[in-house]
Amino acid sequence: MSQMIVNERYKKSDFKIPIHLAFGHESIAVAINELAKKSDQLVLSHRNIHYNLARSGSLKRVLNEYYLRKSGLADGRLGSMNLANQKKNITYTSSILGNNVSVASGLALGQKVKKQKGIVIVVTGDGAIEEGSFYESLVFMKSNHLASLIIVEDNGWSLATRIEERRCHINLNQFTASLGIKFLELSNNDPYVYLKKLTSARQSTIRNKSPFCVGVKLSTLGNWNLKTAEHPLGKSINYHAGPAPTINLSDWPLIKNSAEDPVFVLKKYFSEKLLKRLAKDILESLKREVDEIH
Amino acid sequence: MKYIEYVNQLIRNEVKLAGRIVLFGQNINAGSCLSGLTKNLKVKSGLIINTPNCENTLCGVGFGLMINGVPSIYFMKQQDFLLLGVDHLVNTYNLLRTKNVRGSFTIVSIIYDCGYGGGQSALNNFADFCSIARIPGYTITNAVDARTIINKHLISPGFRIIGVSQRLFNDELIQSVKGTPNRDGSLFQYTKGKDLTIVCFNFSFPYGWELSQKLVPKRLQASLFSVNTLTPINWDQIMINLKRTKKLVLIDDSKSANTACDNFLATALDNCQIKKKLILKRKFSQLWFKPQADNLKVNYSQVINKIIT
Repeated sequence: MSQMIVNERYKKSDFKIPIHLAFGHESIAVAINELAKKSDQLVLSHRNIHYNLARSGSLKRVLNEYYLRKSGLADGRLGSMNLANQKKNITYTSSILGNNVSVASGLALGQKVKKQKGIVIVVTGDGAIEEGSFYESLVFMKSNHLASLIIVEDNGWSLATRIEERRCHINLNQFTASLGIKFLELSNNDPYVYLKKLTSARQSTIRNKSPFCVGVKLSTLGNWNLKTAEHPLGKSINYHAGPAPTINLSDWPLIKNSAEDPVFVLKKYFSEKLLKRLAKDILESLKREVDEIH
Repeated sequence: MKYIEYVNQLIRNEVKLAGRIVLFGQNINAGSCLSGLTKNLKVKSGLIINTPNCENTLCGVGFGLMINGVPSIYFMKQQDFLLLGVDHLVNTYNLLRTKNVRGSFTIVSIIYDCGYGGGQSALNNFADFCSIARIPGYTITNAVDARTIINKHLISPGFRIIGVSQRLFNDELIQSVKGTPNRDGSLFQYTKGKDLTIVCFNFSFPYGWELSQKLVPKRLQASLFSVNTLTPINWDQIMINLKRTKKLVLIDDSKSANTACDNFLATALDNCQIKKKLILKRKFSQLWFKPQADNLKVNYSQVINKIIT
């Protein structure tokens, strides 16, 4: 719902900065937020709103950052694509694909040298794993016995191209196995299942002093139809950045009636009636929180 | 003592005293130890890592350590390889500057300026390199600047690159000089004279020093400066001197196109009435990147004659 409020303001061209919304990415962010210990360090990519919202628990401060105000999460200095929050252990965020995995390697090495207990959790995507720095960093982490979780959010797209339109298939399981790195795949957006499996992965990386890679299958919701000369009837394009035109603010935030939508998955655990009542309350509360921000 | 032995000795002393530190790079603790640059390094606590070949990641690792407050030094066989890490040198560094991170990260890079390396090892362009993100860069040319730069900058808050010259590695170190750095340590003055101002850039100090020595028997006294940094410099000290001597010899042995030397010259022409000037820079043929000698050829007699007459 916080993202929906940002989206509405984005549609009105309220922001000077670019923002990558993350509709459909919420389950992994919530699970990582629950998983992360005080001693852990979180390293994010350009699409980071879901983690920043989960960690900060404040839409107002995130919004103020997007307005580049002093009262923003990072005093209005970082905008969106580099938004970090040291107080909540978001140590570094990079807008350059693959860049943050290298920096995460250094952070993990720093923890090792300082004999700290935590791990580094670095979030990247299916586009960034094409970068050489992804491979280099995994080799470095493995060679230096660094405890870290590498979360690969796989939405199947890089900007407006699908994986199959731009590259060969990368089997992350086999790829990481070739380096002696354990791999786990998460799908279906169940935050409770995610947390359970991630807790076990976290223990494994600490115990084995070895990086652990987690692939997360998800969909960035908010697709739109692009008509081109090649596709006169329109081609479905994944939402990348900018406002999501097909998503509107509502007191029932379900976007898609399938497991692609984390809200839909919650119906496994809670009645729709309860969820709707909670959603209404949350929206009221969020509106009160941000009403004075224009 | 050779140039590289002295640089190595200074680095060894600094890292030994440093407490917790990470020294890393390819082959830094194996084989020739980067031709002696990293020989016999020991740390009190921390790590010395012979790394995999992953220059991009190694730059990111240095910045990651910097964020976590662990000082580190990345030793690099030749600066050409550092091109693979440009993303971090620009994007990561710029981002950390906005966050005012106070850790220390230094890259000590050998500048391959001895020639014959071919097209892909011809990056004797330290100034160009540093200019991409206004990276503080320091060149080491003799005992005085080596001592000052390594003691002051090798382990200190922030990020910088220290360049050492491959060409000078096996040359006898110029030790007999007495030099004084200016307030911010961006340039050094070695001699004071009223007849001529000599200003050296990049690794060209040995040429300037030899020229100043050859002037002595002719009863000419030169003021000799060496500019060791590549980011914006306050030229006042040299300008005051040049206004007095009105004669300038400027020496730059780099291949850079974006140099402090040009910035200095523009300032000098704007502020001083120069009666005579000689600019000794590299002349490029179309095939400047083919295997060939990379040293600057200076005809000292000719230079002296031109300045005297």
